[in-house]
Amino acid sequence: MALLNRLAKCKSMHLACHALRVDATSFTQHSAFSVSAVSAAIQKMTRVRVVDNSPLGNTPHHRAPRVIHVYTKNGVGKVGDKVLLAIKGQKKKALIVGHKMPGERMTPRFDSNNVVLIEDNGNPTGTRIRVPVPTHLRKLEGDYSKLLAIASRFV
Amino acid sequence: MRIEKCYFCSGPVYPGHGNMFVRNDCKVFRFCKSKCHKNFKKKRNPRKTRWTKAFRKAAGKELTVDNALEFEKRRNIPHKYQRELWTKTVEAMKKVEVIKNKRQARFIINRLKKGKQLDKEEAIISVKKNIHLIRAPHAGKAKQLEEKMLQKLEEDVVMAEDNIDPMA
Repeated sequence: MALLNRLAKCKSMHLACHALRVDATSFTQHSAFSVSAVSAAIQKMTRVRVVDNSPLGNTPHHRAPRVIHVYTKNGVGKVGDKVLLAIKGQKKKALIVGHKMPGERMTPRFDSNNVVLIEDNGNPTGTRIRVPVPTHLRKLEGDYSKLLAIASRFV
Repeated sequence: MRIEKCYFCSGPVYPGHGNMFVRNDCKVFRFCKSKCHKNFKKKRNPRKTRWTKAFRKAAGKELTVDNALEFEKRRNIPHKYQRELWTKTVEAMKKVEVIKNKRQARFIINRLKKGKQLDKEEAIISVKKNIHLIRAPHAGKAKQLEEKMLQKLEEDVVMAEDNIDPMA
């Protein structure tokens, strides 16, 4: 009888141990944007964060949107450069509106590589850009004026 | 054009100076110099870094609640442009600046007054303790003793005379 009681106590303690052990999987989150270390701005295969409110950019996919081509002479994209993304199994053009790499002295540095989806004629796919956008994009007044028009905040 | 405030040290960031960092929650951090920027990247808390204004205000070392400081707070309501309002504001700003500086200086002086009083008390205590460095403890004691003895002798003489007189 005493032995049974002792066994019961042991078991309850064991269960308590199990209860205390924290579920590690709850802590790992899938980042919605690129969080790797600073690289040489934006190049092929960089994962980017789409910051407009277009459905293509905001619906979750098991693969982050990736750059597959940069439309500059060297393959490096800075703010204001056009890139080709692979999103949800399709190709889409986009404009870079902020990167993690420190750029010109008087331009802001962002905590993620931000990108806005664009059509072939330069019109934005979404209707609003809530994330702050650097003011030195304003020099692209002619080509991307519609994009600047939908930006809520300049920084 | 605005003179911004450095997030870390609360100093002025003039145009053409400093850095700006935009965090993913859309909060903008401006820094006046790389010192502040580097401390921020080290995740230091400005309220605990002694040389920043944030620390001084949090620790009560500088004036925090004052009407003169209310003028500096940002207002998010735009005003229609009126020339008189503009010119009057500029004049008011100059006056407020003067008053604010005076009040801040006065606050610090008042805070440091206590120190002067404590210094004085300490000085008195230390003089009393170390008086032997200024004046020898038994200096003039011999002469005092002599004078005392003389006085006593005189008293004795006087007493003796008093004793003699009634008899005569």
